[in-house]
Amino acid sequence: MNSSPRDALILGGNRLPFARANGPYAGISNQDLLTAALDGLIARYGLQGARLGEVAGGAVLKLAGDLNLTRESALGTPLDPRTPAIDLSKACATGLEAVVHVSNRIRLGQIDSAIAAGVDSTSDAPIEVSARLRRILHRASAARSTADRLKALAAIRPADLAPVPPRNGEPRTGLSMGEHMALTAAQWGITREAQDELALASHQHLAASYDAGFHDDLVTGYRGLSRDQNLRADSTLEKLAGLKPVFGVKSPQVAEPTMTAGNSTPLTDGASAVLLGSAEFAAERGLTPLARVIDARSAAVDFVHGDEGLLMAPAYAVPELLDANGLTLQDLDVYEIHEAFAATVLATLKAWESEEFCRERLGRDGALGAIDRTKLNPLGSSLAAGHPFAATGGRIIASLAKHLHARHVETGTVQRGLVSICAAAGQGTVALIESVA
Amino acid sequence: MTAETIKDLRDVPSFPAVYAAALTPSRARRSRRGTPRLPALAYRVRGVRIDAERARDVDHLLGGAATDLVHPAVLHILAFPVSLALMARDEFPFPLLGVVHLRNQLLQHRSVNVGETVDVECRVRDLRPHRKGWTFEAVATVLDQDGAIIATDVSTYLAKGDSPAAEGTGADSPSRRREFVAPRPTGRWSLGADTGRRYAAVSGDANPIHMSGLTARAFGFPKAIAHGMYTAARALTEARPDLSRPLRWDVEFDAPVTLPGTVLVSYEDRADGSTTCVGWRPGRDGKPDRRCFEVAVTPLG
Repeated sequence: MNSSPRDALILGGNRLPFARANGPYAGISNQDLLTAALDGLIARYGLQGARLGEVAGGAVLKLAGDLNLTRESALGTPLDPRTPAIDLSKACATGLEAVVHVSNRIRLGQIDSAIAAGVDSTSDAPIEVSARLRRILHRASAARSTADRLKALAAIRPADLAPVPPRNGEPRTGLSMGEHMALTAAQWGITREAQDELALASHQHLAASYDAGFHDDLVTGYRGLSRDQNLRADSTLEKLAGLKPVFGVKSPQVAEPTMTAGNSTPLTDGASAVLLGSAEFAAERGLTPLARVIDARSAAVDFVHGDEGLLMAPAYAVPELLDANGLTLQDLDVYEIHEAFAATVLATLKAWESEEFCRERLGRDGALGAIDRTKLNPLGSSLAAGHPFAATGGRIIASLAKHLHARHVETGTVQRGLVSICAAAGQGTVALIESVA
Repeated sequence: MTAETIKDLRDVPSFPAVYAAALTPSRARRSRRGTPRLPALAYRVRGVRIDAERARDVDHLLGGAATDLVHPAVLHILAFPVSLALMARDEFPFPLLGVVHLRNQLLQHRSVNVGETVDVECRVRDLRPHRKGWTFEAVATVLDQDGAIIATDVSTYLAKGDSPAAEGTGADSPSRRREFVAPRPTGRWSLGADTGRRYAAVSGDANPIHMSGLTARAFGFPKAIAHGMYTAARALTEARPDLSRPLRWDVEFDAPVTLPGTVLVSYEDRADGSTTCVGWRPGRDGKPDRRCFEVAVTPLG
């Protein structure tokens, strides 16, 4: 095991129910969502007036004016205003990176307590002006005379006025994330049936965990929503099979497109927050530690010229993480693999089962092998819950920590959980946590 | 004291109707002689839903985050047209558009969530002679569906005119304004000409004195003035109280905030957990600073 000066303990979490884009959270900003998620965490753990070591958080789709989004949100809560905050950003891995960041600081003794948070609103995504219009406006604002200003402004053409929404795709390939994934899915021969089965399991697991009351102390209702809006408890394989493929349909390399709106995550709005602290902090506050953060790794792949699939970085990061901690893939009790798309999870598992991939790509003696699929995303994941980019890491960490703790209490043995999150631009962050009881 | 009658209104009255009624000449006001009498009448509106979008717009206007806990100003905004309708009634002794908001105290016994349904009751009470006329209180009570009081909002108004305490009558009349010594400012509000219109858009209160210089002049004000409750509500947001706890929100108004204009503010967190905010117009050309409002937000329990 990785030796560390002291433990960074996961003490609890809170998130808002995730809403579909332009649904109940339309007209609501990132700051609103993050403040509401933090408020709920503070209320649940009695942190009113507490001066924490740090609040770390971020958003992927972020307005330029929100540079201090996390700090501004924290300032709107009953936390002591002297609690420092930091904004982080790493696409869909933002939330998990925030957990890793604060847990490292706790382990090093720099801070005793922290909140790791994340938020995203696709309903309030920033819309910018065109690069040409921006340059013209800067030139006009720098002009010294009215005549020069008018001359600069005269360069504006109607086309410059069209607003620029956030780019939906990789800037270097021009392909959307779904199109990239469709290429990887075709390369690994991931079937439509396997994807739909994984999507169905996600809905069923999440619905069952809600019905069991598992989320009662993890989720605070917001704007009339008390469960994730995307959750379809009554979904069936027949319904999923009836959906038309949406990704890969324009790619000549994809003979049979398999990715539908049912086995891909929808655009959603939401926020999450996780409370972490040292053992001393937990004892002081009378909080029950659920799990400790053991270690984390990140990796990146060269997807630009097709050397590797865009979302395959976790397939590289996980073996490195396991090796560093003397574990095999099968030593884990729960696998939380973020369901960007059902095919992402399946391609990752298939890569670890592949002798060829593990020898040639990972430089190992053989395959990592298969996992016990009953241990995969047992509480449902992003296909059912939705995926407000930066909020996903916090969602997974808080529910996994609670789940591992409960299993530990039940079985009397330490439970280990893996969290794996792929991100845009060919990156991935993975983390290992283990139960405390 | 006359027994009070409660009149149930079907809905929260609309501002245009209230202001139109207020502009109609009233028999009671024209023929008033001697001591004025407040009507022994309460208005009640049952089953008013606290609209999530309005609550959000209020939060955003005030620079706060739209959480599910309702800003206390939303409760005031909800009840205000009901009180106003009561004050626009024929037998009400003072002209509605001439009354000045002196003080406000809102006591909130529990947090309120967006989407909750409440009952609102409004009455007027406590008529007192003042050196400039008469003061009275408009009291709005917000109740939940079990009849428990959620909040009490007391607005103290001044109706200018003759009264036993009016200046020169020999009654207690501290006619000199207390000298205001401005503290060190902690912030500055740059209020645009549209400040009144923006608050009107979320509160519905489109009183012409707040809307533009032109409409304000028609009612005898040299410039448009900000809604007092806008300044008070913004101070509450910036005081950052824990809205999940009961609180008291006290406001005292002095000089009006003219628009467009700059107000300097100074916040102080006190040992008892309360936060105060004083706001003033900085004096120019040798003129003294004018205190505009003082707000205190006190958590209870």
